[in-house]
Amino acid sequence: MIGRAPGWIVPLVGAFALIWIVPIVGLVVTSLRPISEIILGWWSLQEFTLTLDAWIVVWDKYPLAYAFWISTKIAVISTIIPMLLAPAAAYAFHFLKFRFRRLLLILIINAFVLPNQVVIIPLFRLWRELGLIDNIWSVIIPFAGLSFAWAVFLVKNYLEDFPNELIEAAQVDGCGPLARFFYIVLPNALTPIAAVGILQFMWTWNGLLLPVVFLRDELPLTALLARIQGVYDRNWDQVAVAAIITTIVPLMIFIVFQRYFTAGAQTKSGSKE
Amino acid sequence: MALAETASPDGPIGPSTARLRPAALRQLSDTQAAWLLLTPLLLFFGVSVIYPVIETIRLSFFEIRGLAPPKFDGFGNYIRLFSDANFLNSMKVTLVWALTATFFSVLIGWGLAMLCSLNPQKTLVFRVMIFAAYGVSEAVSGFMWLGIYRPDYGLLNGILEAIGLTNLTQPWLGNPSTALGSVIVAYVWTQVGLPLMTCFASIQSIPKNLFEAAYIDGAKSGSVMRHIIAPLSMPGVRVAIFINLLNSLKAFDLIFMLTGGGPVRSTETVGFFMYRESMLNFKLGYGAASTVILLIAVLVVSIPLILKRTGDAK
Amino acid sequence: MLRMDTTKRTTLLGSAAVLLGLACSAGSALALDGELVMINWLGGAQGEMMEKLQEDFEAKNPGVEIRNVIPQASGDARGGIRAVLMGGEQADLLINTWPAFRAELIEAGMILPLDASYESNGWGEKLGESWQALSTVGEENYGVTYTFGDRSGIWYRTDTMAKAEIDPPATYEEFLSGFGALNAAGVTPISVPAKVWAHAEWFESLLLRTAGADYMTRLASGEASWTDPEVRTALSKWQEMLQSGCCDDGNTMLALDWDISVDAALKTGDAAYVLMGMWLNTRAKQEYGETPGEDFNIVQFPAFDMGHDRESMVDAKELNMLSAVENREAAEAFMGYMLTADAAGIMAEYGLASPSTEVDPSIYDPVIQKSVNEVTSADKLQFVLGDLLPGDLGGEYRIALQRFLQDPSDETIDAVTQQLALVAQGAY
Repeated sequence: MIGRAPGWIVPLVGAFALIWIVPIVGLVVTSLRPISEIILGWWSLQEFTLTLDAWIVVWDKYPLAYAFWISTKIAVISTIIPMLLAPAAAYAFHFLKFRFRRLLLILIINAFVLPNQVVIIPLFRLWRELGLIDNIWSVIIPFAGLSFAWAVFLVKNYLEDFPNELIEAAQVDGCGPLARFFYIVLPNALTPIAAVGILQFMWTWNGLLLPVVFLRDELPLTALLARIQGVYDRNWDQVAVAAIITTIVPLMIFIVFQRYFTAGAQTKSGSKE
Repeated sequence: MALAETASPDGPIGPSTARLRPAALRQLSDTQAAWLLLTPLLLFFGVSVIYPVIETIRLSFFEIRGLAPPKFDGFGNYIRLFSDANFLNSMKVTLVWALTATFFSVLIGWGLAMLCSLNPQKTLVFRVMIFAAYGVSEAVSGFMWLGIYRPDYGLLNGILEAIGLTNLTQPWLGNPSTALGSVIVAYVWTQVGLPLMTCFASIQSIPKNLFEAAYIDGAKSGSVMRHIIAPLSMPGVRVAIFINLLNSLKAFDLIFMLTGGGPVRSTETVGFFMYRESMLNFKLGYGAASTVILLIAVLVVSIPLILKRTGDAK
Repeated sequence: MLRMDTTKRTTLLGSAAVLLGLACSAGSALALDGELVMINWLGGAQGEMMEKLQEDFEAKNPGVEIRNVIPQASGDARGGIRAVLMGGEQADLLINTWPAFRAELIEAGMILPLDASYESNGWGEKLGESWQALSTVGEENYGVTYTFGDRSGIWYRTDTMAKAEIDPPATYEEFLSGFGALNAAGVTPISVPAKVWAHAEWFESLLLRTAGADYMTRLASGEASWTDPEVRTALSKWQEMLQSGCCDDGNTMLALDWDISVDAALKTGDAAYVLMGMWLNTRAKQEYGETPGEDFNIVQFPAFDMGHDRESMVDAKELNMLSAVENREAAEAFMGYMLTADAAGIMAEYGLASPSTEVDPSIYDPVIQKSVNEVTSADKLQFVLGDLLPGDLGGEYRIALQRFLQDPSDETIDAVTQQLALVAQGAY
């Protein structure tokens, strides 16, 4: 607890959140009403029927369980990689002296501007030659590779406030650079690592462009559900179902991981100089 | 400062744990350790970033029309880009788009994070609600906002009529003077989740005794927010600015869904331009050249910032 | 039961003919087998339809297994298709609906001419000459058109006409004079969805009626100029319509997506007319639950008495054979199958029309029947102009028309036609 919160805070934030969630409510309502009714907007009350038709159609037509499994595999692996490697890199960039440090950092961080469509065609050729098309690694490798730009930045940014005397004390004690990372920095960087996990999971779970180009049979949820929307019809009820199905999992991840935001704070206490 | 006294000597991070380290790793120099830590990352990075970037730079010197074989064209694409009124227009739109969208999304997210941090337990459900918008894909958010803005039965016009402001009703996405603003509002809606999360995390890592000391000194929550929370949540704010700013440069789906770049190119950003040229018009060389220019622009802006922040390694 | 037998027999005869043709050319192949790879970007109802067609084909040719390569990208399927092709993906067949894209594929040497296949499979008997002409580039025919749609048909609700006490217009004068009655009844005469592309339909049908299909072909191929009087005439007709109160204000039109306009014309009745392709039929039947011919109908674009009233604008989808084809026999068999009555029956269920002569039009609902009649009895067919324009010109063309709708003045007409002529110079 940070302190004595004035009573108005919870209602204020609550009111804000309720306004914020209006489009999401719309999404849910859209998925539960027939298209002929939502033509005048999902809020229209001229006729009001609730139906699970769209949910049933999506459930029947698409092998959701299998796609769910593929999505989970892709998102979990592509999330774990930066959760492990980004703190290591951030530590190296922030606490160690070596040549090309700044150059490398600039290169890595600037890669964030790179849009996905730039990566697609060169990688497509490479994956074909390596026989990686329709292999989930064809998606995981770029998902991980493209995440370092912001993940390294994010972790390094938190390390800037890291208590230096802890590092120094360890050094005096004869602790090598790797040990300092594993025993001192890593256990205290749970907050940024959790943030990396949440964001990367969400982005890879929702990623569409790379999976639809690189994967064929092993399609993740997003790629499978992207087929729902045709070019010539706008079956928004089913699209809404798809959107809800795909959004729920990252939200769970958010709820689970955000606990570490407070946990990280406890170990760190009493170290500001 | 008084705070140092509260440090717990037996915490999980005491120097004593260092004795557990394998002996062989003790001798590593900084350089060796750094490369050891960086190599796995650089492997991923090399394949999925460096190689495509080199490919992009190479392509930017070719004229490619769709599937036709590429023709070497020197700086032709770059010269054409700088005389392309649509590209220059997209740069202008991007400046407004990126700055306003980032400013408002970070400001709102930061403000909410500060408020929520005063009562983390009771606001958790609200944070999840706001973060949910971040989890919906841009295309689907676009669809939801389409319903809000549509000229005939739109929610926004409906509300304005209901509260007697009929003269303010608009074809929001068709009027060139309101279209960009309307798309930005929708985009900010999707983007607030991230600053809320990073700033909140940042605030949570502020040492608790700072607050205790302040309250003992009789501070009110307003001044705690101003003097402790706001300045010490800067790491979260920086990350949010960085991520939201650079993401806004790449936005495509939401703009495509809401306005398709229109009316008459008034919502065409650089991200939209790049996507359209390379994926829709498939002028890969031209699209590549515009990507290279964007990369250089961001590099120029970011190098001094990164250099300033990297200083000497500690 | 009798009916099943005859279908079976025709199929058998059909496949026997195919087999004979193969026996002459390829030697000993007796049954089709192997994998047939298709670049299939269709989604939604049309994707479902293609799935059914493929299942039916596989049932008739048990040795063949169809695999779909599904390219997908936001906005325009061509982006994904190109990425797949450039990446070197092997495939036998490609579904295509853009003549400009076909030209690009030919130039890149990625699709094969099909004249020999037409000959050996007798497709020429099933596909009339005007259809073959649509897929012919230069001297060679590159596609098998399997479905088409009327794009000069104006859609309306019958009760909207009754409400305004008018009849669907046969001539331009009737069309113009009806606007008053419609507006008086509280109905916007035309809903023009100008957000992205659908507003161009009106310009194109106006150009078709005032300048004709031959001129449009020349304009699309860069032989005629956008500053020609023909283009001006079409735009000034539209100006006339706008002045007669046909439409919403410019900004409102520019805010409309096609589906909102269609809802306004065919569902809510807020607008009277909408001009668009045959997929509206599916939408109105499936999503609004309306009966074609009773609740809604189409009327061919009104006559202008300028010598081009019997011409029709169409869109079409065709199959192209990729140069990377590995299972040519199966690919040809599938192309042939798409022209059979069985295939047409499946397509008709989804509200699409087949150009094959083997099809008895009575399988269609009244609205499709009407549009099929218009197209088959037309003197000339013109493909949708926007899909014929190369590269940047297509985009610039739609934006030019947006600018016209924002301010339909003579000055704007001058400015946009000059701009288009300028962009056209660089596009060919």
